[in-house]
Amino acid sequence: MRSTDTKFAIATRDELWVDGQLTERRLSCGTAVDGERIVATQTLEDDLIAACDAEIEELRTDLDPDARVRLVARARRVRGMVMTDKTMTITIDGVSIVSRDASVLRRALAMPKTTDRTDLPIVWRDGSASVLLHEAVGHAAEHEAAFVKWPSWLRVNDVPDFALDDVGNDAKGADLVSEPPRCMRRESFRDVPLRRMTNVVVRQTRAPFALPDEYIDVHLVAGGAYDPLTDVVTIHVAASSAGAFTYHRTRADVAKSLAGAKGAPIDYPGVICSREGQELAVGSSAPLIVTE
Amino acid sequence: MIYQKRGRVARWEHGRVVDVSEAGIAVELRGILVVSPGGGSVDASLDDVASIAKSLLRTKPERLIISHGVVEHIYDTFRWREETRRLHVALTHNHLRALIDRADFNVEEVAKVAHALRRAGAERDAPPRIRLAPTVTAALLPHLVGVAPPNVRLVQSAGGLDGNGEEIREAAGPPWPNVFRPSYRIRPVRTPLNLRLECDVDVIDRDVPEAIALLAPVSGLMLRVLVADGGRFYPTTIRVTRIDAVSPDRTWYPYGAGAFGSEIML
Repeated sequence: MRSTDTKFAIATRDELWVDGQLTERRLSCGTAVDGERIVATQTLEDDLIAACDAEIEELRTDLDPDARVRLVARARRVRGMVMTDKTMTITIDGVSIVSRDASVLRRALAMPKTTDRTDLPIVWRDGSASVLLHEAVGHAAEHEAAFVKWPSWLRVNDVPDFALDDVGNDAKGADLVSEPPRCMRRESFRDVPLRRMTNVVVRQTRAPFALPDEYIDVHLVAGGAYDPLTDVVTIHVAASSAGAFTYHRTRADVAKSLAGAKGAPIDYPGVICSREGQELAVGSSAPLIVTE
Repeated sequence: MIYQKRGRVARWEHGRVVDVSEAGIAVELRGILVVSPGGGSVDASLDDVASIAKSLLRTKPERLIISHGVVEHIYDTFRWREETRRLHVALTHNHLRALIDRADFNVEEVAKVAHALRRAGAERDAPPRIRLAPTVTAALLPHLVGVAPPNVRLVQSAGGLDGNGEEIREAAGPPWPNVFRPSYRIRPVRTPLNLRLECDVDVIDRDVPEAIALLAPVSGLMLRVLVADGGRFYPTTIRVTRIDAVSPDRTWYPYGAGAFGSEIML
């Protein structure tokens, strides 16, 4: 899986804007040569820096003047190919969303609380089930966790949207229910490449679907975690009809609780996934899913 | 003011050594922190972290990070050099995870925890009296700021230089006189550095059970720990409500902005 003597170069430009004012601006740039040991050296890669600056400038057109907004643009070069990605993370009242549209977050935060019960079935709306399955299927696959039987109607795939991974291999998709992600990724030139998710796409095929009599509508998730030692999945729900709450289940219980799904995958705003201290954006989409 | 940092670090992580050379400049101008790559390099002879890793892999860690680095800082007219060693080990057995963070490469201390973890029995209630090993105390100290029991004193220890190259002064409470700057990429933070605990009573009863390792990160004043009681080992959760004695012997650990752990008795 690992290429040897691959040269990986990356530039990252990030900015923090608070209420429309720039407060922090950073540039990082360097090269890693992968061999028996990784030799990581700060270098100035003008083409990568220029690519980052162009992406940041484009992101700035969507700045919200009444929020905390973090812009990150990355340009990386491996095997001579330059690939870029960019994210905007908007934070209002301590809740963040990876999106260029603050109105999505404002709408979610304005959702009225209609129940105090957090033990009801959950209807994961707006693609939010992708975060649940990112943790329960994706991270478990990264850790090569023990087999759990998932519903036959469920598909969870990693679908890279770039050509080469960060060690120079062709970026290949993976069926996360049965195998770990195939792409190696790293946040910066200083980091060890790790097998990481790139873009999680959850699909259903002829899944059963019925809305329970009583349920919680989940629209936005603040974060999640998977502990390979206990096999427990934790999801911090930020916006739902039960307000903010924390969901804890073993992976086996998550699998058993999947009661149905409906429709095509809906793009979730996105996930900034942190593992081993390396933060990477992971695309996320899922259909409407019901857990009991 | 301009802050510059350059350095070299060898880090073992996920089965590989990463040798990083880097320099950075941080400038704060009209409220905007601007960080960019800097120039220069540091000549340093670094430890063979792969060899240290090899000796620790016998404990079958879930996670192992070993680093040795040398950095030079320049801030205003101050220029100083630092050398750091860091060891992070997570050991697992059944559903328990022991967390070890040290500023040295003491393999025996890790082996001691690994031995105890493998023999850990079922969860028990916390004993009425318990000792905390220095490493456990050090992890607790940053959480005691502002809430330390009245019979002990939590103090920033004098010595060394802070994130702006200023001498670290003895201080017992806010406003803390020094700043912590763990990276050139973030703003320095005013916080207590190199905390230590003092108490008029320094006699430790060696017969009471000892919390030898953390089983989870410290959460407020709650500690989930692995206890050694004679030849028995078990996990428990303790809440720190009073501290009866503090040993004067201290070791520095990389918790928070630095903490001198000493053996204490609850």
